[in-house]
Amino acid sequence: MIEFLLNFSQSTGIFTFMNSQWGWPVVESFHFLGLSMLIGTVGVFDLRLLGVGKEIEMASLHKLVPFGVAGFFLNVITGTMFLSSAPDQYIYNPAIQSKLFFLLLAGINMLVFYNTVAAEAKSTPMASNAPTRARIIGGVSLLCWCAVIVCGRLITYYRPPYHWCLWC
Amino acid sequence: MRESGPAFFTSLSLHSLAMGFVVGINFAIALGILGFIPRFNPRSFDKFFTLHWYACLLILLSGLALLLAYPAKALTNPVFFAKLIALSSALLITFKFQKQFFSEAATEAGMASSSLKPWATLSIFLWVATITMGRFLAYTHEILLASRFF
Repeated sequence: MIEFLLNFSQSTGIFTFMNSQWGWPVVESFHFLGLSMLIGTVGVFDLRLLGVGKEIEMASLHKLVPFGVAGFFLNVITGTMFLSSAPDQYIYNPAIQSKLFFLLLAGINMLVFYNTVAAEAKSTPMASNAPTRARIIGGVSLLCWCAVIVCGRLITYYRPPYHWCLWC
Repeated sequence: MRESGPAFFTSLSLHSLAMGFVVGINFAIALGILGFIPRFNPRSFDKFFTLHWYACLLILLSGLALLLAYPAKALTNPVFFAKLIALSSALLITFKFQKQFFSEAATEAGMASSSLKPWATLSIFLWVATITMGRFLAYTHEILLASRFF
């Protein structure tokens, strides 16, 4: 796995770029920008589901979600650049494993939302609460994204071999 | 702060979380002003402005804690001051938005004035600059500890 990722990184020029003087901080900046786009769109929508800013039309706010999707893809691209440039620092790192778990949970939560209450939630009139199920989904989503940020910060602290975790 | 792993890590995590919310909420407001939210009524964002200022307070407190941990690292780095200027300017623009949205002279329909569009663009630019300089702080310092001076 590590070899495959390193080969990919080296053959695409990612490795050279990431190891240039400003490669890493430039990509980190884009990574945090993508995350801010997610919080500003999906996070704000989640907060509206939870009842913050009830005067905002849910359907109007939902128009921002494509920006959140763009932010997410920015994160996937930049995250792949980190992972493939130093795979040994990430694959065995419990912080990234936890981060990926919360990402997966956020993804499943989103699928549940769009396959169950999305239509009902989007048609919630102004000054009204979203359906209870939608509020729970909004809360889970917000918690997952906060956990993703915290685990992201933890990555630096648990770089192998200086790490501990319950499952290592 | 520096010696205690949990204290430093907690401050760093809170700083990142609060930054995510502040930049995110500003991003959403700017997109609304730029016309990406249909029937955008800025006054309906009043709770988000409140949340935004609480998150700013958290940025300030966690930022001070991080500064206390490594004062020489930040205070000897021009990027740190550039970040502070970008951050303060961006917050002044947010304050201008809030003042204009909730003033009595706000437009009857409660819609954002198109004169704010350049400010919304500038706001996004300043937040991107703040994030970028925040990340570059870790890579551009020349002095890590104040003990270097003694």
